[in-house]
Amino acid sequence: MRKRSPGRRLLTALILGAALAFFLFPVAWMVLTSFKTNAEYFSYPPVFIPKSFALTNYQNAMRLPPDGRGGLQGVRDSLIISVGSMAICVLVGAPAAYALARFRTGGENLSFWVLSTRMFPPVASALPLFLVFRFLHLLDTHLALIVANTIFNLPFVIWLLKGFFEDLPVELEEAAVIDGTTIFGAFRRVALPLVAPGLVVTALFSFIFTWNEFMFALLFTRREVRTLTIIVPSLVGGHEILWGEIAAVGVVAIIPNVTLALLLQRFLVRGLTLGAVKG
Amino acid sequence: MKTGVGPRVVPARRGEGGRRAPLTPIAMLLPAVAVLVAITAFPLLYELRLTVVSWALTTGFPPQFVGLQNFMRVFFQDPRFWNAVANTGLLVGVGVGLQAVLGTALALELHRLGRTRTTVLSLMLIPVMIAPVIAGFQFRMIYNDQFGPLNYLLDILTRGAVRGAAWLADPRIALWAVMATDVWQWTPFMTLVVLAGLQTIPVELLEAAEVDGAAGPQMFWRVTLPLLTPVIVIGLLVRVMDTFKLFDIVYQLTGGGPGNVTETIAYYTYLQGFKFFSLGYTSAMAFVQLALITVVAQIFLRYQRRVRAGMVT
Repeated sequence: MRKRSPGRRLLTALILGAALAFFLFPVAWMVLTSFKTNAEYFSYPPVFIPKSFALTNYQNAMRLPPDGRGGLQGVRDSLIISVGSMAICVLVGAPAAYALARFRTGGENLSFWVLSTRMFPPVASALPLFLVFRFLHLLDTHLALIVANTIFNLPFVIWLLKGFFEDLPVELEEAAVIDGTTIFGAFRRVALPLVAPGLVVTALFSFIFTWNEFMFALLFTRREVRTLTIIVPSLVGGHEILWGEIAAVGVVAIIPNVTLALLLQRFLVRGLTLGAVKG
Repeated sequence: MKTGVGPRVVPARRGEGGRRAPLTPIAMLLPAVAVLVAITAFPLLYELRLTVVSWALTTGFPPQFVGLQNFMRVFFQDPRFWNAVANTGLLVGVGVGLQAVLGTALALELHRLGRTRTTVLSLMLIPVMIAPVIAGFQFRMIYNDQFGPLNYLLDILTRGAVRGAAWLADPRIALWAVMATDVWQWTPFMTLVVLAGLQTIPVELLEAAEVDGAAGPQMFWRVTLPLLTPVIVIGLLVRVMDTFKLFDIVYQLTGGGPGNVTETIAYYTYLQGFKFFSLGYTSAMAFVQLALITVVAQIFLRYQRRVRAGMVT
């Protein structure tokens, strides 16, 4: 297993180097494209490194059609929806996760039912939700997307936080209750501060899931609300495609993701497997 | 693998807390359960009612009762639905399979690294984190048959031996191009999961196997792989459920085309519901999907329950 022959190490380096090139090339290509002029984009052989790294495309992208606010509107709407849904998920999810972790309220079946709602195919619930939002005149509002995303993130948040609460030693809360604190007091003043890192990790995951969400944004918005995930494909579908500027929107759209991939690395396994693998 | 310790109960609670004890947790759980019931049960019942009507939102006619006709149409009269099922099946069977094999191979290599492991893994995980729509956009540029880098690189690396293709417009290739994008995005996820599993295998165990004469492939097939099976299964199940819902990259890359060779179940349902607005039929399709995915989800949940109970690992 731990043989360290130079040949084998070289092979490992080669394989992983090739893998890194493969996994990073598409991202790098988008970043490079975001600096290209249209002439540089439409040339063969393709231009790999643009002549100038001026931010022209970024400046133009922020004022893209339809209403001249393009990219900026996308950043604003994606932020409002992601933060809104994250806040609701954590506020409603944390007490629920605590109850499930410490009291087994409703038993294993309830916990697993909560988790199973996560596996719902979004396209199956999209139609009834669409009709409900239409009836309530909520189409094309931030609220509709906050609600829709909360559906899919709440089970995730509860399940992940439940794991974090279960990792805490129960004795501190017991001591607090013996000293006369209420159960809710033990949760709020003892467990919650201790689980804070887990809370942050969970919140950031739910933020990213909403930030990346596409189908609901496509179905429930028109013109007033346009997330970044909507803007990119809608521009690619246009007549005259400004690749450099769309790429600039794409780069802006992945900044939080890349940042969090690096920050959350230790918790990625847990987050991405719904807590099934703790790593 | 460090699996969950199983739910713990505060033992002192019942005696000390008096009558309030059982109520507080229920109250803490209530808002979440209310939200989940409201947003799963209600739409489900509403949709169930729709499955037995014919209702095209575009015509303005009121819904008409048609009994089980919508379900009959799904199962017996709509080859396009089964085409979507076959495409999705291929993406799940071949695509997810590839992700598992490549992901495991890369995890084994990463596991050999020392201090650089974390950095390499972090960089490798960037595809997993970015929005699938953005991944689709990136590949749309890469696959471009006139100006894209893929055809150019193929040309210079093989000195013209391999001719490039219209990756997204050629009906024989398009579905594979979609699959490649999905494999690109999610292979690192499998690497991450398998690596987490690898790190929990005790070194002593591997050394013992080595002392007993296990080496090379035998070591892998007989010792390492069996120990990794639980994590690989969990990773696979997560991927199967996700791929089953594949929509974003299809929308961005091909729009289901050329023809409908890249139409997935989710994409076809979207077309029926939101392009053709046949609500009854869409609801029936949604229910068929729900039934299918429930089967996979049940396997995942059962498996996780067994892992939590310490029956696997």
